[in-house]
Amino acid sequence: MIPLLRILNRIARQERRALLQGLALSALVLGMGVALLGISGWFITATALAGLAGIGILFNVFMPSAAIRLLALGRTAARYGERVQTHDATLRALSRLRIDLLRGLMTRPQRRLERIRAAAMINRITADIDALDGALLRLILPALAGWGVIALTTLVLWLLVDPRLALAVGLCHLVLPTVIFGLGQRLARRPARQTEAALQAGRSRLIDLIAGRDDLTVYGQLQRSADHCRDAFRRHALHLRRLDRLERRMGGALDLSTGLAVALAIGIGGHLVTQGTLDPARAAIAIFAALALGEATAPVRRALSEVGRMTQAARRIWPDLPAPPVVSSAPLPTGTLHLQGVTYRIPGSGRDVIAPVDLTLAPGDCVALTGPSGSGKSTLLLLAAGALQPTTGTITLGGRPLTDWSADALTGPITLVPQRHALIGGSVADNLRLAAPGVGDAALWHALEITCLAQTLRDRDGLDTRLGFRGAGLSGGEARRLVLARAVLRRPQILLLDEPTEGLEDALADTVLHNIRRALPDVAILIAAHRAADRNVAERSVALKPPV
Amino acid sequence: MITPPTPQTPSGRAAPWGPVFAVLAGLVWPCQAAVIAWTLGGWIIGTAALSPWVAALAVVALTGLRVVLDAAAHLRLSAQAEARIAALREAIITTESSAADASNLGGGGATAALACEKAEALRPYLLRYRPARWRVAVVPPVILGLTAWHSWAIGVVLLVAGPLIPVFMALVGWAARSASERQMEEIGSLSDLLADRLAALADLRLIGAGPALVDGFADASDRLRDRTMAVLRVAFLSSTVLELFSALGVAMVAIWTGFTLLGELDWGAWGRDLSPAAGIYLLLLAPEFFQPLRDLAAAWHDKAAAEAVEADLARWTDQSREQRLGTGACVAPGRMPRLSTRNLTARGIRYPDIDLGPGQSLAITGPSGSGKTTLLRLLAGLEGPDSGQILLDGQPLVHATADLWRAQIGWMPQAPHFLNQSLRHNVTFGPPISTETAIAAQLTTVIARLPRADQTLLGARGAGLSGGEARRVTLARALHGTPGVILADEPTADLDAETSAAVTRALLGYGRAGGTLIVATHDMQLASQLDRTVQPIGDRP
Repeated sequence: MIPLLRILNRIARQERRALLQGLALSALVLGMGVALLGISGWFITATALAGLAGIGILFNVFMPSAAIRLLALGRTAARYGERVQTHDATLRALSRLRIDLLRGLMTRPQRRLERIRAAAMINRITADIDALDGALLRLILPALAGWGVIALTTLVLWLLVDPRLALAVGLCHLVLPTVIFGLGQRLARRPARQTEAALQAGRSRLIDLIAGRDDLTVYGQLQRSADHCRDAFRRHALHLRRLDRLERRMGGALDLSTGLAVALAIGIGGHLVTQGTLDPARAAIAIFAALALGEATAPVRRALSEVGRMTQAARRIWPDLPAPPVVSSAPLPTGTLHLQGVTYRIPGSGRDVIAPVDLTLAPGDCVALTGPSGSGKSTLLLLAAGALQPTTGTITLGGRPLTDWSADALTGPITLVPQRHALIGGSVADNLRLAAPGVGDAALWHALEITCLAQTLRDRDGLDTRLGFRGAGLSGGEARRLVLARAVLRRPQILLLDEPTEGLEDALADTVLHNIRRALPDVAILIAAHRAADRNVAERSVALKPPV
Repeated sequence: MITPPTPQTPSGRAAPWGPVFAVLAGLVWPCQAAVIAWTLGGWIIGTAALSPWVAALAVVALTGLRVVLDAAAHLRLSAQAEARIAALREAIITTESSAADASNLGGGGATAALACEKAEALRPYLLRYRPARWRVAVVPPVILGLTAWHSWAIGVVLLVAGPLIPVFMALVGWAARSASERQMEEIGSLSDLLADRLAALADLRLIGAGPALVDGFADASDRLRDRTMAVLRVAFLSSTVLELFSALGVAMVAIWTGFTLLGELDWGAWGRDLSPAAGIYLLLLAPEFFQPLRDLAAAWHDKAAAEAVEADLARWTDQSREQRLGTGACVAPGRMPRLSTRNLTARGIRYPDIDLGPGQSLAITGPSGSGKTTLLRLLAGLEGPDSGQILLDGQPLVHATADLWRAQIGWMPQAPHFLNQSLRHNVTFGPPISTETAIAAQLTTVIARLPRADQTLLGARGAGLSGGEARRVTLARALHGTPGVILADEPTADLDAETSAAVTRALLGYGRAGGTLIVATHDMQLASQLDRTVQPIGDRP
């Protein structure tokens, strides 16, 4: 519950105006509904009394009937405004939350970010954000508006009708639903978590069953794997049944609390009327108000069924929202990159991923990094970029340890192009300008010439060529060259390339790498090289040994 | 050929007790309203029929009755919804595990989404929409009848307002849908956009593109919000229409009743005098006349979501798929048979006849795309040949013999799917990895480097394993349990010299120890060390 409240607090601070407007309109709608029914009830009762007494002709009908018509039309208008306003506030808040999440994740360690890349993880994060969209619309705004209107109605009844009646109605509507919600969300916490976990397990197992179908068949594991899926879904149904039962009980309790409020209004009101201390018309206000307030407590039921998922989602999202940025006071990093006795070990594992490495990379150097697979070439590049911290040894840039700067500051002079091509949905220009915002078209074309992609794109829509999500629409080799062009645009001092020409033919690979070298003569380039084409461009090579 | 069954609950046409209870719960209110109205009416005319506390007790008792009916409805409806969804999931699991080829939905992710969150989208529809429709059919007419009994004027008001609402709502809903379709075409959902950016985040940060990525996302997100709000502004008009009619209904009842009771109006009540109790009763009934319509409107969205799922489901059901040979169950291996093929053709490629006794080895060579992988898949029974036969000790490989044959096979595909389970489970499917296997596949250093050794969780792509390490895991899996034959597809492709040599050594060592080897490869160094070489014969037979 606490992370959810924190996130809500964060949203409230960011979107204060939109939220307050939404809240005011929500309360107005509820309040007008109560007033409409209360006044209508009073009007009918009072006119009946006047009619019976034969003084109907003296009854002032103008004010109440005008009020009823005004409330009816006003409530409709307010409802429309409320729906637009609260949805706008929610969309704003969620949009902000998504942006903050991206910004926050950006400051997380590299290993954590790499885990996020998995499809299951991405599904989870987007689903979590979507789960939070009910937090404002169906939890906080109805709760605050409901409390406000119930309290106000209690006050009005106190002044206008009778303090005892007011207290009975207020207590039943304000305290009971709040207690039921508090209790319900606590009881629902465990089954909600288990239900969600079982469904996720079912998903992951079903993906394994389908994607691994052939392997599982040959190894005689297909039926077992299918049963494994069935287990997860059966567990899901079981926990869901418990959650449903809880929802039924809590929903019933809520209905009873509304019924109780009306019953108490009738009991107490009738008692006062028979005693002669209250006239029936004013008692009618209390009874009708008690009925109308049922609308204020109705959202509790829906909120209760969703709050479990929201709490879960908030707990996972909250840690990734940005902390205040650390301001680095070190001067801009520049100079020669120097690695001495560097090793790396995945925290928690017993062995190093790379054997100790010494390496010096001065401006203008071009060095190939060779070694068998598993010798840690990619890891070494991440270390050199400052994305990972070495377990032993030191890495310095211009004589100062890399740790003097934040990972953010280091992305200025150091650029690492990983093996995967990180492309996003949008145009080719969008993808290129990620590395160099605000650069002119000419510079973009120049970079594309260097990586031999210009002609290919000219044959399509040029810089406006659209890419699907994750760069869909380009072949592997084209995506590779686009990613390299982007790195060239960045004009770093140190360029780290991980298997840069994977997927390119030998001749093309050679041309692209030599072009890059010529275009960036003063840049220090370190290439994790797997194929000969990658090594040809380098002046020297450093061989990594597999760690022992 | 199999066709996925249309998942229907066995009790699909069973008695609809759920909606019936929901309707009965909706009919409790007119009784409750009557108690309240005649109690209040009694106070006005001064002759109370019920003492206040008896009336209060009756209200509570009737609320209790409604709660019980609601709970009974919910219990049945959720059981039915669960049965429907469970049937759908069972159909997906059964079909996907007995079909030989992929479904038309695409990868495992899409089908899993259908079985998980999309199937869950049916639940609110089954729980809310169906009973809401029943209630709309029964409750408003009942209330209309009760109202008209007391006053034809109010009856006419409700009669006119009621049917108008769906007409207005349909018009507005139609406008909103076309607006939202335009929006979807243009940009897709914000979730898709976020997923796209999340996937690229780790790598883009390394080229310093992080801030630009976030800014671009923020722009797109703002634009999308504006468009979404434009759609919502139209869509909310429909709920406003309902609200308007409901509020006007209450206002008109209140004003007509008030003026009638004052004696200023003398029409509309069948020529009788309207009693105060009847007037109050009319006021209490009016909002409930509109309530089922509002519930139905609120459940409209559930219906739209469910229809989208049903469309996906229909696409999945509407395909016929090749039946998988064998059940894929685990059986105890028998004796390694003699493997031979006769006049085998598949996918337009003809294969030379093979005769391979236990302990012999065979290389399948040829340029890429010549059908090497297909031959391995044919031999493992994962694909059916267009013509010809695969014989095991002279008996054809058919559905009944496939599982027993596969119990002999160690399978080494080029790009395996790692299960979202521990490394150990990915190698042995449970038991510990034997030392011999680990050493033969050179897996010991890989295991030692992992944070939780052989209990480390591998994702679908073998999270954190390099290409060479992943190949060693695949090799260890093939070697585990000393199978009679290993079918390996390009076991040394894309590897550095050292790992490639290690894999070759392990495979040849297995062959020397008496194992049968069938290797598809274009690595001539490996092929030359095997007993025999065959090549697919290429084009049309």
